[in-house]
Amino acid sequence: MSADALTATGVTAGYGGDPVIRSVTLRAQAGQIVSVVGPNGSGKSTLLKAIAGVLRMSAGKVVVAGRDLTNAAAEVVARSGVGYVPQVDDVFAPLTVRENLEMGGYLVARSAVPDRMEHVIEVFPRLGSMLRRQAGKLSGGERKMLAMGRVLMLAPSVFLLDEPTANLAPAIARTLLEEQVTTLARSDAAVLIVEQRARAVLAVSDYTYVMGGGELRLSGTPAELTESPAFVESFLGGHRDQAIQRSEADDHADTGKA
Amino acid sequence: MSLLLASVGFGLVTSAVLAIAAVGFTLQFAVTDVLNLAFAAVMTAGAFAAYLVNEAGASIWVAIVAAMAAGAVLSAVLNYVVYTPFQRRGAAPITLVIISLGTALIVEFGIAALAGGINVSYLMSQGKTHDLGGLILTTVQLIIIAISLVVMVGVYAMLRYTKLGKAMRATAANRMLARSCGIRAGRVIAITWGLTGALCGLAGTVFAIDVGSFNASSTDIFLILILAAVFLGGPGNAYGAMLGALVIGLGTEVSAAYIDADYKYVVAFVILLAMLAVRPTGLLGAAT
Amino acid sequence: MYYLIILLVYAAVDAIACLGLSQQFGVAGVTNFGFIIFQAAGAYVAAVLALPKDTADGGFQTYIGGYGLHFPLPWIGAAVAGGVLALPFTFLVGRRLRGDFAAVGLLVTAVLLNLLVMNYRPLFNGDAGVALVPAPLSSGMFVSTSNNYQYGFAIAGMILVAVAYWFVRRITESPYGRTLRAMRDNDKVADSLGKNLLALRTGAMVTGGAIAGLSGAILVSFIGVWSPAAWSYAETIVLFTAVIIGGAGNHLGAILGAVLVPVGFEEVTRFISNNDPSLPPNLLPSLQWVAIGLLIVVFLWVRPQGVLPERRRVIKLPDRASTPAPARVRDEDGAGGAILSVADVTKDFGGVHAVAGVSLSVGRGSLTGLIGPNGAGKSTLLSLLAGTEKVSSGRITYLGSDITGRPAFRRARIGLVRTFQLASEFKRLTVMENLLSAVPANRGDSFLGALAGRRYWRRDEAAATARAADLLERFGLAAKANDYAGELSGGQRRLVEIMRALMTEPDLLLLDEPMAGVHPELARRIGQALRELCRQGMTILMVEHELAIMDEFCDPVIVMADGRVLAEGTMAELRGRTEVVEAYLVG
Repeated sequence: MSADALTATGVTAGYGGDPVIRSVTLRAQAGQIVSVVGPNGSGKSTLLKAIAGVLRMSAGKVVVAGRDLTNAAAEVVARSGVGYVPQVDDVFAPLTVRENLEMGGYLVARSAVPDRMEHVIEVFPRLGSMLRRQAGKLSGGERKMLAMGRVLMLAPSVFLLDEPTANLAPAIARTLLEEQVTTLARSDAAVLIVEQRARAVLAVSDYTYVMGGGELRLSGTPAELTESPAFVESFLGGHRDQAIQRSEADDHADTGKA
Repeated sequence: MSLLLASVGFGLVTSAVLAIAAVGFTLQFAVTDVLNLAFAAVMTAGAFAAYLVNEAGASIWVAIVAAMAAGAVLSAVLNYVVYTPFQRRGAAPITLVIISLGTALIVEFGIAALAGGINVSYLMSQGKTHDLGGLILTTVQLIIIAISLVVMVGVYAMLRYTKLGKAMRATAANRMLARSCGIRAGRVIAITWGLTGALCGLAGTVFAIDVGSFNASSTDIFLILILAAVFLGGPGNAYGAMLGALVIGLGTEVSAAYIDADYKYVVAFVILLAMLAVRPTGLLGAAT
Repeated sequence: MYYLIILLVYAAVDAIACLGLSQQFGVAGVTNFGFIIFQAAGAYVAAVLALPKDTADGGFQTYIGGYGLHFPLPWIGAAVAGGVLALPFTFLVGRRLRGDFAAVGLLVTAVLLNLLVMNYRPLFNGDAGVALVPAPLSSGMFVSTSNNYQYGFAIAGMILVAVAYWFVRRITESPYGRTLRAMRDNDKVADSLGKNLLALRTGAMVTGGAIAGLSGAILVSFIGVWSPAAWSYAETIVLFTAVIIGGAGNHLGAILGAVLVPVGFEEVTRFISNNDPSLPPNLLPSLQWVAIGLLIVVFLWVRPQGVLPERRRVIKLPDRASTPAPARVRDEDGAGGAILSVADVTKDFGGVHAVAGVSLSVGRGSLTGLIGPNGAGKSTLLSLLAGTEKVSSGRITYLGSDITGRPAFRRARIGLVRTFQLASEFKRLTVMENLLSAVPANRGDSFLGALAGRRYWRRDEAAATARAADLLERFGLAAKANDYAGELSGGQRRLVEIMRALMTEPDLLLLDEPMAGVHPELARRIGQALRELCRQGMTILMVEHELAIMDEFCDPVIVMADGRVLAEGTMAELRGRTEVVEAYLVG
């Protein structure tokens, strides 16, 4: 078993007052896509912010590639090879696309920047045709590609993606997850992705954590989770048997159709 | 016609001085989030630093370096001792403006206490006068315009092509995201104070050269012109500040020729209030 | 002895000016860096009203007017002038401009008006200023009057301080003053509660300006001269320093600050400096200004609330026994019918269909839930219903009438009220004051109503207080009634917001995620209180993502996804429906 690229242990954090997430523990290995799903307000984004050094945690520990990054400043986290894509304010709006990418490569040696940029454009070909455009004027999908391309410039060992498909049309969202996000993991990096679209992200994940009410509720491989009665319950609550029977019936129906 | 040309000449010199100050002010605001009303007082500090070096026998053009150093150091100190602590505490923008006014008093009248409140001038010659197709300018005035052009090109090149300049723009645009890119925002902000402080010291000295004799309070009115130029171009927008400086500089001097020299600042005043009322984001600012 | 009189008069002038500034800055939150121009205007107007024609003294000074009016007309004119001068500046502090940008605009105005008056001699004799201004009820200047007159003048000054204090206190301690403080704490929310920000800020500018004008009149009657040097923009900073040190928002603090800073500090040291020839002439005045600057910076760091912080207004809860039963008797005729119906409503944001054809109806007296995954269009729909956003197409009917085109505040007046997702309490108002601030028709919630005094608005206030106390009891927050809202926990702040919305006596309350970030126990308590309110006839439509809450309290529950209504039913029913499960899992 390879060493964990990222381990977060007992993370507790909030915005003053009661903590929003309590004692969350998860790990991700290099080359894996690890997803965190759960309903609105379950604390998924807060978890990512705490790991990225954007939000102070009141308890817990974060280790990236053997280095303790607990409550390290955001720039230190970035310098340790963690690329963070926030859900909103994810690009430098007044800067051009090219300049955004250059900022993503801020820590990269100047001579290496053109090669990196070329690589990023290979992964996100559409970025290549709009290098001179202002980031703030891109469409939602383009903007998210730029945000992901920006962190790819750093060639990080860990990607933190906060709901990259939020506000994207379903087709675009699926492409983003199946093609670009998958490519990120192929570079032998760990991808920790927070998603609202549980079904879609499960399809590309190696391992998934389910959050609810600020705590971890479940975890497992996508296959295990779709089997588990508790999975649907963690989204919709209530009586699991009924819901799961339904859900299973639907699954059968789906496979039947397919 | 010659009246117009003469006033345009004055206007260009005023614009040149103003542009240096306004670009420094607006960059400072963009990156550090401090609307620093002590800027004009720091200009005076730079002008006096140049005066001391000039008195000691150095040419004023050498003394400018001392002024830039003084402006940089004083700005960095103000940031470290006053502004950053208040910002860490989460002080509201309006509180910071009040604090910067207090700081302005400390600096301006600290200088007055040390200098005795008298008017001083640099030891220098104005050089020959040149007739450039009707524009009559002295050598010194031409040098001021040249310095300003060099500064404008330098600022543009820095913001556009250097790593530091881009980091400054990134920090101004989105401080948290800049940090997530690995940019040490705290350091960028400290450097910005130093750089804009140096521009401030430079602006103070060329201002003093331009007006001939000055005292601790000479830049009080000039602050109004700076604010007008900055708000005209859009607060935080360096290119806007350059444009604003050109408009305000020419506007005040040309109107001085036709209305009355005593009222030349009224033009700047009207422009500033109109911008605040109609379009607070400025001519080049984003209309959000 | 003359020295004592000088100090007393200066103290009176500065105290009155500081009271005006305290009202503007401390209570209404308007940072007027041009405050001194209002004092200056008062002084000039008082001077030219009292002076004879400018030719009378051999024409050594020129000024407009010169009416030779007798006291008290010049002083009254000064106050009016200060107030009227404030009017053109309200565009700067009105609605849209950032507070710090507006402050810069006012500062610039102060500097340039000073410059103008200095250079334009026909107005007020330019930089030399006007001189020989006669003292009130006397033919000559103050210095040539008798001892007894001078004592009388000082005492009159003290009395005017008391009057000014009474005046600003009467305003501040009224429902109108509470509204001003609410605007100071959060102007956007005050706006959404139907407060007219432009009118409120204009009021603050005009009252502050009039008070400053009066202070200028007293000053010019005393010193007999008035020139631009007396009102440089830096004088405004001195007054600000006084108010900050004394305690912004506390009028006694303003008086204390006036005694400490401009009087105790400036005037006293001015006497010392003149008596010591061994020092350079400019050293002490310069050091005074340095000290003023240091005072501002150091005080804002060490004690930002000032020597006398703003008082907390404790409002006694009425005894439970005497609390009237909820006065509201609801019309039960329509019970069960639809209070609100929506037909085919859409909302596009630049090509994106946030709401894509929603039709639904909300039954009177129901506690209806609205759920759905992120981006389903729930909050947008709420905004359309409340009128915060305009519909792109479709029709909204409320209580039988078409309200599709009506703006938000009109819908609020007919009982359709919403809350917002983000915390929006007025931090430096107590919980009780937060609730009272929302009452729409309090007779004391206007400038004139405030001046009319407590007797005029006491009954409205008592009725509102009783209702607020009832709500506080119901939501279990009675013990916190007199705590500052800013000091509550996140969940309690949400409660305050809900209660504040309830104070407007809505018929249909739209709640946007009222339980977000609320402790589960408290969330249940809120749920119970809401259900109780519905039992009494109110209708509630609530967006919420905590589905356990929906299970327990809401019936029916409406599910939205992709801008459409997907299903409606009890939570248990919905859980069994494939499309709902899928909507949640696919997102």
